[in-house]
Amino acid sequence: MKRLYFWFALIAVFGLVLAACGGAGGNTHLDKVKQAGLIKVGTSADYPPFEYVDENGNKAGFDIELMEEIAKQLGVKVEWVDMPFDSLIAGVQEGKLDASISAFNYTEERDQVVDFSIAYYDGEDAFAVSEGFSGTLAQPEDVVAYKVGVQNGTTQDGWLTELVEQGLLPEANLSRYDRADQAALDLKNGRIEVMLADAIPMKALVQQLGGLKIAYEGVVSSGPINVVLPNGDTELTQAVNDIIKKLQAEGFVDALAIKHFGQ
Amino acid sequence: MLANFFLYIVQGISITIGVTLVALPAGLLLGLGFALINTYGGPWLKRLSAAYSLLMRGVPPIVLLFILYFILSGNVVNLTPFWAGSIALGIISSAYQMEILRGALLSIGGGQMTAARAVGMTRLQSIQHIILPQALRIAIPPWSNEASIVLKDSSLVYALGVPEVLRRAQQLSATTQQPMLAFGAAALIYFVLVFLVNRGLDALAEKTKLPTQTA
Amino acid sequence: MDSPILQAKNLTKIYGQNVIFQDISLDVNRGETIVVIGPSGTGKSTLLRCINLLTPINSGQIFLNGKEITAPEASEDKVRQQVGMVFQNFLLFNHLTALDNVMIGLSKVKKLPKAQAREKALYELNRVGLSDRADHYPGQLSGGQQQRVGIARALAMDPSVMLFDEPTSALDPELIGEVLGVMEILAREHMTMLVVTHEMGFAREVANRIVFMEKGSIVEQGSPNDLFYHPQHERTREFLWKITELYGKKDEEE
Repeated sequence: MKRLYFWFALIAVFGLVLAACGGAGGNTHLDKVKQAGLIKVGTSADYPPFEYVDENGNKAGFDIELMEEIAKQLGVKVEWVDMPFDSLIAGVQEGKLDASISAFNYTEERDQVVDFSIAYYDGEDAFAVSEGFSGTLAQPEDVVAYKVGVQNGTTQDGWLTELVEQGLLPEANLSRYDRADQAALDLKNGRIEVMLADAIPMKALVQQLGGLKIAYEGVVSSGPINVVLPNGDTELTQAVNDIIKKLQAEGFVDALAIKHFGQ
Repeated sequence: MLANFFLYIVQGISITIGVTLVALPAGLLLGLGFALINTYGGPWLKRLSAAYSLLMRGVPPIVLLFILYFILSGNVVNLTPFWAGSIALGIISSAYQMEILRGALLSIGGGQMTAARAVGMTRLQSIQHIILPQALRIAIPPWSNEASIVLKDSSLVYALGVPEVLRRAQQLSATTQQPMLAFGAAALIYFVLVFLVNRGLDALAEKTKLPTQTA
Repeated sequence: MDSPILQAKNLTKIYGQNVIFQDISLDVNRGETIVVIGPSGTGKSTLLRCINLLTPINSGQIFLNGKEITAPEASEDKVRQQVGMVFQNFLLFNHLTALDNVMIGLSKVKKLPKAQAREKALYELNRVGLSDRADHYPGQLSGGQQQRVGIARALAMDPSVMLFDEPTSALDPELIGEVLGVMEILAREHMTMLVVTHEMGFAREVANRIVFMEKGSIVEQGSPNDLFYHPQHERTREFLWKITELYGKKDEEE
């Protein structure tokens, strides 16, 4: 029993010292964020309508507005850090970002190094082709017959890569791009025949570029999208989840979806 | 609307210039140090500096940038992406600058050092007062080239999340679907910057030129 | 006569497998002008560079003003302040004006205040006849002018001994005279000088003593009269004959 008291006392002293050093309040990541009044959120602002830069040079988009609201509810402001998409997970993992929102899907691989919030939106995938496309895409797996493009590091990339590893899709027929709009442009000028991406941005690109159409829409690789948070950061994740639930119940999320996606 | 877009890209110029203004002097200091060590140091120092040069010049800058970035913004030293990226670029440039300065130092020739020593100057004084002033003059044209390279390479920090010109052009391209316009604007900006730098250094070379016989 | 201002004792210099010179001894008295002659590659220039410690000797000792400058505790830099050197290729500091070339030793090495250094430098430039070229750069001067600045630069340090390493060998013929003229004035002013040269006219007119070196050793030395008219060694005679042939039998037209 004395042993227990001893350890208890030691930990209490240790905790007190830490608290004294760390300033007022506790010392979880969430506390630090609240103390700083700032949450560093990574995004790749080249993916309309989820996150992009508008004509005034400001960040805009579904994810952007949602995250700003979440931060507001936490009582902090967002410090946006814009990075190429495939650097974002590493950014959270290395502790350079407090969180990241960039239309992320859950994958087991990602889960090993970061944590996910509950889903804040559900989405499907879409295959886009040029208007003169004469092939068949009745089901997703039909894509193996064509030259296909995808954004690097996305779940769609993962799905297609699996097909390559299974020997169904020739490696040479898969092109990876840093940004979705790069792939769309190559689709338009015929360098690739099919493009796979999240349905909403895909439709936006199709509409903007012209000469393209959606060949297939449905759940292929994605599904719900989540906020990415640091591994093992239960306090922050819990806080974010609570707010997401609240915003969904209030209809905030739906309204945002109508504003940005029209649905 | 396009004007606003262009303004957005133009705002990246201060970052591009900032990165260059950190990287170039850092590279110069380091590069000069290594060049002097390599030219005047003992056999081990010569080997060390030669190895450094070989290593840094043998790897693509973007790869080195990531490696150095993770070291410079890790747990021991924690710098922002801007500083980590700029210093990393400086370290990379120092290897190339070392070669430029080494060449300049060697081209001055041993005679100048001999004459300086003959007047009673120490090695250090000879390097400081006789060798370096002449070597730096000679180094200006090739250094001007390196300055252009660093300025253009500053775009690499986009991969670290620093909002300079290239990244902004990418975002604009994604939003407007006008890649030619977006990247054309970026290209124009880099061209103008490089042009100005080269012109400036040309003027410097002209100003510090040593007079020769006219007739 | 007090002891020699410069004494070289049993100097040996070896480069790799080559023996440049072996067991050479030479005394230089205050105010003397000694001219060293001999075929190219016999170590004359190396000898000079060993005397001001630019090149290390393998064995032997050198004494300047009675102190051993080859001793391990001697400061090479300080020694070189007392030994002036003039080079075949002038080796002026190209980024400095003539005045600055002469001044720099005074301000950086002797740490004289700028005004004082300037005054002394102008004095020396005047001495070699170039005060009107003080703000010219080496690139704007002729070879003869550059060499005279080189002499002024060495003189400015007030050395005990002046070493001349083939000072006119790199000059166009018509420019040789102005440099030899300055050297002659210095000799008449009793500057202690050790000169390596092929200029036989100068050797005959100005030298107090001529030293003939061949294949790394001193074959013969003596007054110009002795050496030119009564050489003791066959090799001396042979060399002088060849040289005067080259220079057009000057001393036969006496």
